[in-house]
Amino acid sequence: MMLVNYIASVILVVLGLYTIITKKNLIKIVLGMGIVDYGINLFIVSTGYNDGGTAPIYNMTELVSGAYFVDPVPQALTLTSIVIGACVDAMALSLVIKLYRQYKTVDASEIRRLRG
Amino acid sequence: MDITGALYILFKILIFPGLLFAVVIGLFLAGLDRKLLARMQKRVGPPLRQPLFDFLKLLGKETIVPHAANKTVYLAAPVVGFTALIVLALFIPVFGYSTFSGNGDLIVILYLLTIPAVALIVGGSSSGSPYAGIGISREMVTMMSYELPLVVVLLTVARKVGGSALCFSLGDIVSWQAENGCLAFHPAMIPALLAMLLVIPAEVGTQPFDVAEAETEICEGPLIEYSGAPLAVFKLNTAVKMFIMTALFANLFFGGIETGYVALDAVIMVAICALVTFFSMTLIHAVTARLKIEHLFKFYWTVVAGLAALSLILVWVGL
Amino acid sequence: MSYVHFPVIAVMTLFMGAFLTVVLGKHSRAVRSFLAIAASGIAFVLIAMLVKPVLIDGEIISYWMGNWNPVNGYAIGIGYEVDQLGMFFALLVVSTILLSAVYSLRYIERDSSQEFYYVLFLMLSGSVLGLVLTGDVFNMFIMIEIMTFTAVGLTAFRNTGFGSVEAAFKYLVIGSIGSSFTLFGIAILYGQCHTLNMAQLSAMLSGNHSPATLMAFALMFTGLAVKSYIVPFHTPAADAYTTAPSSISMVFSGMVNKAGVYGIIRLVYIIFRTMDIPAVQTLMVIFGAVTMFIGVTMALAQHDFKRLLAFHSISQIGYVITAVGLCTSLGLTGGLFHAMNHTLFKGLLFLCAGAVLRATGTTNLDQLGGLSKKMPATTVCFLIGAFSISGLPPFNGFASKWLVYQAAYDKAVTTGNFLYVFVTIVALIVSVMTLASFIKVTQAAFFGQLPERLKDVEEVPFLMQLPMWIMSALCVLSGVFYNFVDKYLLVPAVSAALGVSRYIDSMMGSGYAAEKCVTDIQASGVHFSYWNPMVWLALFVIVLCAACLCILTSKGSRGEILEGDGEDGKYATFFSGEKALPSHVGGSDLFWGFKTDWKGYFNIMEGLHSGVVNDYALYVVAAAAIVVVFTFMFMR
Repeated sequence: MMLVNYIASVILVVLGLYTIITKKNLIKIVLGMGIVDYGINLFIVSTGYNDGGTAPIYNMTELVSGAYFVDPVPQALTLTSIVIGACVDAMALSLVIKLYRQYKTVDASEIRRLRG
Repeated sequence: MDITGALYILFKILIFPGLLFAVVIGLFLAGLDRKLLARMQKRVGPPLRQPLFDFLKLLGKETIVPHAANKTVYLAAPVVGFTALIVLALFIPVFGYSTFSGNGDLIVILYLLTIPAVALIVGGSSSGSPYAGIGISREMVTMMSYELPLVVVLLTVARKVGGSALCFSLGDIVSWQAENGCLAFHPAMIPALLAMLLVIPAEVGTQPFDVAEAETEICEGPLIEYSGAPLAVFKLNTAVKMFIMTALFANLFFGGIETGYVALDAVIMVAICALVTFFSMTLIHAVTARLKIEHLFKFYWTVVAGLAALSLILVWVGL
Repeated sequence: MSYVHFPVIAVMTLFMGAFLTVVLGKHSRAVRSFLAIAASGIAFVLIAMLVKPVLIDGEIISYWMGNWNPVNGYAIGIGYEVDQLGMFFALLVVSTILLSAVYSLRYIERDSSQEFYYVLFLMLSGSVLGLVLTGDVFNMFIMIEIMTFTAVGLTAFRNTGFGSVEAAFKYLVIGSIGSSFTLFGIAILYGQCHTLNMAQLSAMLSGNHSPATLMAFALMFTGLAVKSYIVPFHTPAADAYTTAPSSISMVFSGMVNKAGVYGIIRLVYIIFRTMDIPAVQTLMVIFGAVTMFIGVTMALAQHDFKRLLAFHSISQIGYVITAVGLCTSLGLTGGLFHAMNHTLFKGLLFLCAGAVLRATGTTNLDQLGGLSKKMPATTVCFLIGAFSISGLPPFNGFASKWLVYQAAYDKAVTTGNFLYVFVTIVALIVSVMTLASFIKVTQAAFFGQLPERLKDVEEVPFLMQLPMWIMSALCVLSGVFYNFVDKYLLVPAVSAALGVSRYIDSMMGSGYAAEKCVTDIQASGVHFSYWNPMVWLALFVIVLCAACLCILTSKGSRGEILEGDGEDGKYATFFSGEKALPSHVGGSDLFWGFKTDWKGYFNIMEGLHSGVVNDYALYVVAAAAIVVVFTFMFMR
């Protein structure tokens, strides 16, 4: 049922990695990092899906054996992961701004003072 | 530990097989080397006692510390090297008779052997001379060169003697040879023996492998600024190193020629040391010219390491 | 208060310290210094108080956040679990934090925005401490991510400096690829096992691998390998260690890459318990051997003090990974001991580099020289660190490297596999090359000619010397009293890494491991020690004799030690009568003989370390692909 989601998430991850490896523009590299994160988020949230399950909102009296709902843990994980991904992107973009001020370019192949 | 035990240990450390024995035999071997070399070049050569005289004379000379030098390190380096060599002498058994019998003393020996070289390097470096700077870089490259074959030779011996249980104890290697015959007579060990013979002159720093000191080229490299007592100690270090390397060779390949009398054992060992000195240092010195540093490195990592590796493979497949 | 709360409080203290520094530390230097020292000091004390119950009495502390205990054998809360392995690393972490905090007080006093430095520093500390104490894989991921951000922030802290922002960006890109792999692995594991607790995962996965969990293993292994900077994931580390402030470089090599190593050990020994599969051992040993060799050869080619140290850091981690990958108790002992020693001596060396940087304003070896007369304390500390890392007796590096060689060769003999002989030889050669490159630094920075520009250099203040002296003392002590370290730190940690069922039982209730048919890893090999008091007695006696000899000879009227000032030609350095002044043999001039022989290799290596972030990302992804393929081919 979730196979499409899984395939899509792997495609997203691979696309993101491809972007990071091949694109020389720093902004595009940051976008690639974002795409990898989205792919993984899609994957995590898909692992918790139960077909036909209800929202996982219960109190202790309603929670009886046989209650059928989607797994809430992956949703929590996804939220956390989204927050972290946003932080990474923000940090990366701020570094790109700094880099542009110092090097006057956003081309990765010219930002290589540290090598060898 | 009672008082006799302590005295006995002190005797071992200071007289036999420690300080005095190592120094005397080392100086003897150095003298022998010079004498034999002179005879091979149709010179009369100095008397056997000459290295001792040199040593005593240097001790009496004034010691000059150059103003660019770091005094503490400059003066401490030769002493540290000497200390390490004497400790090494304690680890090398006179066949059956040894001071320490640890489980892994081959590795201790391997490591202690680097200390005199490091002492020379640090001492030379601290003198602040550019010649010394070049010298220490060459000493270091020499060290890198001979370390690989030396390691492989030691691993080969450990495998040969210990089998699957691996033996890094020099005492056990000697007693194994007492039962199974000298390692020198095992065909698989012959390449390792040759490799070891070639490692000794580089370790001691005699021609043609004396690129680090190269008197004619960089004026003795690390030793250039040294004078008086520290220089005497460095010269003594070279002599003691001769004894240690040849004695190590004797134990690795000719161990187990035991008579039961310590004095007689010692005499046999010194004889073997003298022979090894002749073959690995004097003879090679007499017939070859000094190598360049890059040739030295290549030579050790291909020819010598190849010999040692051949032996290791032969031993590994069970020969 | 019971000590079971201490681990969580220690982590919380560091994070609270970070928060309070934001609020209160903006205007007063005294306040932020106090907060940093207090937070790291409290964390240190709290962890130190756990030594007795955990390491000596052998207890495993399990702690469920908010008291969410497992229900019907399923872990539902976030658990903290402190076993001896975690405790060992936690001790390393808190010691590093405290020493680095003390060093930072004076080291960064000339920088602006110091409050942000302390905020990031305390968050980094808290995250690494949390990582080694947690018992939950997702919590581990969070800690890894916090670690990565804050490390990136600290790398870019001196953002006007040469290349620090660039290093931070590369670090962030490579680091986040690594974190993503880890997260992907964790997600797959959750999909398979529906739990995030390490103990329960270990119980469910042990000997029970499906293709999905193998994929998870490969991804998590790669992700954590990125965090421990083994080759080919080492590229951002070399840049970051170079450009970060030295107190932070020390933290990076002392605990951030140790956190990665800890993660790998936890992963292969506990969570997946795959360590007794020969393929995993081969994988780790090959990674380790390549890492040590490439690290050390790159270090030989460097001209910058800190970049050289950075490549050595990478190389030494190779030793740890190799030793741990052998899966013998001797190898594990050697690996953990070397990890500890690496924290000590590499921290010390980075602090020395920091002292040189503060005193002279540069770490370029070609511009330094002759500092030993101006900075005697730093020189002594540096020499102790250099001898330790090169493995000279009696310093600690000797003991741990010996254990590594012995373990590798033992493994070769017991398995009959020639690969391990090769690895042993590589390890020994790498050790000599390490010595060589430290000789280079010694000659280029501390000895030789003092350049005119550095005539007025002064020794660093006492508060910066203090951590250096402490670490020097620890380097010597842990080498000499090896037996003590072995008994109280290494043996408990090793038995914790091998005793999987104990780890599971103390978290999930006793009998849980047996129910899931988990058995402990059977590791061969015995302990042995090189410690022999007689040797050191002998050394002592001989040193005494030699000293007497020196004093006697120098007392004589003719054998006097003479010292002069620069005016007298007698005391000048010999320079063959040329008019020109003696020139200093700089770092780049040493070892040209070696470099010409290896020119081809060095050219290739320099080409590979191109500095382009895309290339570095490519190495990571390619290596990940190789690990995945290897896992599926050999671990089925």
